[in-house]
Amino acid sequence: MRRTARQLTATALTVAAAALAAAPAHGTSGGGLEVSPASVVPGGGVTVRTAACGGGSVTGDASAVGAGSLSLVPDAHGQDATGRFRVPPSAQPGTYEITATCGGSGRRITGDLVVTLTPVRGQVHPRGSVKTGVGGALGPDPVQTAAGVAALAVAAAGGTWLLHRRARGDGI
Amino acid sequence: MRRVPGFGIGVRSPANAAMAAVTVFALCSGVWLLRDAAGTHAPPQPSAAQARAGLDGGAGPDGRAGERPGVPPLPPSPPDRIRIPSIRVDAPLTGLGLTRTGSLDVPPAADENLAGWYEAGTTPGERGTAIVAGHVDNADGPAVFYGLGALARGSTIEVDRRDGGVAVFTVDAVEVYAATNFPDEKVYGASHRPELRVITCGGGWSRGTGYQGNVVVFAHLTGSR
Repeated sequence: MRRTARQLTATALTVAAAALAAAPAHGTSGGGLEVSPASVVPGGGVTVRTAACGGGSVTGDASAVGAGSLSLVPDAHGQDATGRFRVPPSAQPGTYEITATCGGSGRRITGDLVVTLTPVRGQVHPRGSVKTGVGGALGPDPVQTAAGVAALAVAAAGGTWLLHRRARGDGI
Repeated sequence: MRRVPGFGIGVRSPANAAMAAVTVFALCSGVWLLRDAAGTHAPPQPSAAQARAGLDGGAGPDGRAGERPGVPPLPPSPPDRIRIPSIRVDAPLTGLGLTRTGSLDVPPAADENLAGWYEAGTTPGERGTAIVAGHVDNADGPAVFYGLGALARGSTIEVDRRDGGVAVFTVDAVEVYAATNFPDEKVYGASHRPELRVITCGGGWSRGTGYQGNVVVFAHLTGSR
């Protein structure tokens, strides 16, 4: 009985911690390691992101939760480095520290990941529209245009050659 | 000089005949290529007939004639792949988070056949609103959800899940919403049954602002296997 009660308390605490952690899930937490989502079920995917390393290479360590090490790749602007890992399906509920080390300075930054068995749903919905296009389908296709111009050039050359032959009386 | 039988004038030289053929072929293909290249069109947009009419009453579409009834939700399992046979979509899914402004992040644009799902949210097939997003185009041309606006009510969307099952959704509506007044609750809000949203860019394009909104497909779970 006592043991069951303790387990129940632990579960309740985990859920509470998850609920607390979910609130700042996508904040930057002062140049630390941004863990998204901050609360995840075993087997779920996690994205970590940091701007603290200034565009250099970053090595992440998720071995606390049993996911080993990972590398964070800087984005095109050289600001954020982003990496992904998957929480093993066997992971136990709890709070785990995920760390990252800047390749250049050796600076170490950390973020928390909460593993919970009952998914904490619905607190954070996306907002607003999604940027899923740049208009690349609208302009003329450059490759096809170049091919068309090349084909017309061939036609022009062929036509000229034939006219020359005809002018010389070879006929066609 | 050789006369080709059957030609009144005669093609007197094989070289001439070959060159004439090449010239005609090059002319035709050149014209066709240029016409086709210039005619790359804006992505299809949904018609009013595909809109959510009647879905917004709160009661859901369950009472509508011809609507396929929903089925019980599936247990949570991350999705691996999305297929929409009627617009020839068959693409892997990557996990998506949120941007700093709270909007849904997008898959890498360079891969034109890649879609993403919001992995902090509901998994497709589970009770609630699962969200999938993908690009309508990238710098090189059309991308995975180019044809999304042409999807019709009643079409089928299949999602392969990591547990080996396939969640089958039926399209309820296809809408286009302006970015300036985006109905967050309608698109992302919770649902009492397993639902799916598939989102891409749409709603007109201008050089200054890019696409001015999103095409959103509303679907609900109608089967699994």
